[in-house]
Amino acid sequence: MKIYLSLLFTILSFGITAQTIINGTVKAQKDGTLPGANIYLKGTYDGTSSDTEGRFSFKTSKTGNFTLVVEFMGFETYEKEIVLNGKPIQIDISLKEAFNKLDAVTITAGTFEAGDKKQANTLSSLDMITTAGAMGDVFGALQTLPGTTTNGESGRLFVKGGDSEESQTYIDGALVHTPYNSTAPNTSTRGRFNPFMFKGTIFSTGGYSAEYGQALSSVLLLNTNDMPVEDQLDLSFMTIGPEIAGTKRWKNGAVTATLGYANLGPYMNLVPQNYEWEHAPESASGAISIRQKTGKTGMLKVYSSFDAGNFIIGQLDLDQDKMIDYKLDNNNFFVNTSWITKFGEKRTMTTSASFTRDEDNVSFDTTRFDKQLKGFHIKQVVSQEISSKVTIRSGVEWFKRLKEQTYQTPADTFINSYNNNTLAAFTEAEMYASKQFVTRIGARVEHSDYLNRTNFTPRLTAAWKLNETSQFSMAYGWFYQNPSDDYLIYTNNLDYERADHYTFSYQSSLKGRTLRAELYYKDYRNLAKQNEGEFYLPQTYDNSGSGYAKGFDLFIRDKKTIKYGDYWISYSYLDTKRDYRNYPGMATPTFASKHNLAIVYKHWFGKIRSYAGVNYKYSSPRVYNNPNSTEFNGEHTLAYQTLDISWSFLYRPNIIFYGAVNNVPGFKQEFGRRYAETPDDSGIYRSTTIIPGSGRFFILGCFITLTKKGDQNQLDKIQ
Amino acid sequence: MKTNLLTLILALVSLTGFSQKEEYYQAMGESLAQYATCRSIEDFQALGNKFNMIAKAEKEEWLPFYYHAQCYIIMSFMEPSDATKKDAYLDAAEKSITRMIELAPAEADVYALQAMFFSGRLVVNPMERGQEFGMRSGQAVGQALGIDPTNPRARMIKIQNDMGAARFYGKDVKAFCEQAKALLADWDNFKPKSPLHPNWGKQQVIEIVNSCN
Repeated sequence: MKIYLSLLFTILSFGITAQTIINGTVKAQKDGTLPGANIYLKGTYDGTSSDTEGRFSFKTSKTGNFTLVVEFMGFETYEKEIVLNGKPIQIDISLKEAFNKLDAVTITAGTFEAGDKKQANTLSSLDMITTAGAMGDVFGALQTLPGTTTNGESGRLFVKGGDSEESQTYIDGALVHTPYNSTAPNTSTRGRFNPFMFKGTIFSTGGYSAEYGQALSSVLLLNTNDMPVEDQLDLSFMTIGPEIAGTKRWKNGAVTATLGYANLGPYMNLVPQNYEWEHAPESASGAISIRQKTGKTGMLKVYSSFDAGNFIIGQLDLDQDKMIDYKLDNNNFFVNTSWITKFGEKRTMTTSASFTRDEDNVSFDTTRFDKQLKGFHIKQVVSQEISSKVTIRSGVEWFKRLKEQTYQTPADTFINSYNNNTLAAFTEAEMYASKQFVTRIGARVEHSDYLNRTNFTPRLTAAWKLNETSQFSMAYGWFYQNPSDDYLIYTNNLDYERADHYTFSYQSSLKGRTLRAELYYKDYRNLAKQNEGEFYLPQTYDNSGSGYAKGFDLFIRDKKTIKYGDYWISYSYLDTKRDYRNYPGMATPTFASKHNLAIVYKHWFGKIRSYAGVNYKYSSPRVYNNPNSTEFNGEHTLAYQTLDISWSFLYRPNIIFYGAVNNVPGFKQEFGRRYAETPDDSGIYRSTTIIPGSGRFFILGCFITLTKKGDQNQLDKIQ
Repeated sequence: MKTNLLTLILALVSLTGFSQKEEYYQAMGESLAQYATCRSIEDFQALGNKFNMIAKAEKEEWLPFYYHAQCYIIMSFMEPSDATKKDAYLDAAEKSITRMIELAPAEADVYALQAMFFSGRLVVNPMERGQEFGMRSGQAVGQALGIDPTNPRARMIKIQNDMGAARFYGKDVKAFCEQAKALLADWDNFKPKSPLHPNWGKQQVIEIVNSCN
């Protein structure tokens, strides 16, 4: 009985109030008081917030053992066991800053990242599209960034003294074998992909992660959009042709189908052209994109496209001194899939795969030249978070490339092909010592069965945050790539080409203003060379080439100074020489300009609901080779200049009108000269200048989006 | 005797259990009353802290998470210029929103608040986020109205969104003014499920109606 009574008493005693006062202060471990911190006893309603001095005080009627919790945004939660027995408790707490990768130092050496999540991005997805002069081409927009050189007769990316073949493009982790449209020799190309497909872009101009191989100069990583939000129908009418896209959304998935037709014929009849087009470029394309959520965290993406294009252009044959028709038919089929899923909180697995089949059927005069490329890539990457500060990424991949070509003259037929399989594996650790310092150390190994060679490459990057606004970073690594298809089709007795990158970068960002300066050096070795001898003989080729590129890049972006205005300025200085391909010795390559400048400005006019863009680009003269001269690559082109404008008008929430003009002042543009293969009777190689298709380029368009709500628009689709 | 005592103990235990709930109602009631006195970011942070405390003690109730998220969304709207802070407040709100949706996936008010949260993300950088978050906000409102077409806060946010878009495109907002007036007239007919359930928004509708005149 006594026991029962005492038990009862004990139970009742919980109800009796013996108040304990808890007071103290909350500070940040590093410096300063923390007002507004949440201090409370776990599992109870007793607690308070710290005042402007970081002081707090509260009463509790609880007794016994409790946990005191202190929480504040951006700091690690503090917990302490305390005993409440009526005696006042005085406690001073210092909170440790929580480690958050989003506001820690980031590696910026060589890298331009675009995306909407990050505050400190240098170029957003929207910028990729609204840049005047890019005409909706991803690669065109990238050519306003430092480190790139515009080659008007190519349109491809040339990065930091590297040839265009040294750059690779990846979509959702899988390699894109044919990122560019097929064109006639010496005419500018565009990317195959509409920029509105992508939510984020990373453009690395050097020193990239061990995840990426087979690129000597740069990688462009494009990440496609996640789930569309609702059903919609997009219609676009442009001076070059219409496009229709329909999106159907269901609970955990969505599908988008796109059909497009382009024909430059009507446009070319209106605007005078420099070339004689027998049949203006015409193409039909279709694409299907599927998004499916798998499980709680998984996302499967499939993108498949087909396009068929053709044209006939009249070109002067300098050897025969007559006009001949150059005819091209291109068929391109592309599938890209990726599946990303999480295993628990710490592990992410990504599988990416792509397949490309590309056929070019070319005929000129009496010659036929048919080329076929089949490319396949599959990659499996696992990312494991060891702690909040250490992440390890590892992966394996398989590249397959099958190239076949048939060259047919009335007299002979030459058939050549090669088939390469490359297996690769990489691992990389990203380690934060603190919010201020991070390093990424990685290594990659590749084996090619065609070359029968193995390479091993180390990669190292580090970044150091100097203060809240500025940081310094560096990158070092070896980069390997197989020699060009042009050579591999005749020989497998070649080694990998190699470039070593050294990059030092400084970046300072403050409220919408960014300044970036970068110094780099690239050491090229083992470049493939074509020596004296017949081009179809294997012994004509070796790896005796080499070269270097060094330079300085400057980038200024300012979204702040001018209200509703936004501009950036890129300047690159490039000094490069190389001995490769059929060069007789060290020489400046034809694609390099010493000075490159791009000024891009955009303005939002709210009253007239219009977005206007203007940009100016300058590249100093490039070199080209004149076979009539003894000096190799001794001639200079004109400096390249262009001034482009674009205007988009939001007529209705779902209707946009768009117009753009490239090279408004009609600057004279010349990209060197084309020479005959053999000298004429007087011993002179005849030649003609290489010029763009037209002095100016215009585009007009109208974009309509239909949804149930009727106010979505395609502003992100403006080209 | 033994059974009597057991009954007593059981009664006491259930009483303490009940008093725990009582404490919840009291704490919520007191905190909700504090809304009226909040003027600054600091005030809302202190109030948010109270709801955080309650949420941590009552892990299965969605209302504390709702009000915690609401406080931080308001803080983000009140922050004058610092985009990083605006996003940090919204990050805090996002955690509560995620938990709240798990706890009460069939409540219209949950999605109405989520719509407000997306608008908050949009406001940080309208140029870059307008497209994405405008759509997501509209979708969340649609979800709320799908569950309960009479929910006054969902109706109000829809009117706000539609009016904003109409003003931007220079269209007439008259139709939305009529909707706002109708909503205001109808407002008191909507009865919250309990005194602790969301019941705010009338003042905002009055402001919309006034802006029409």
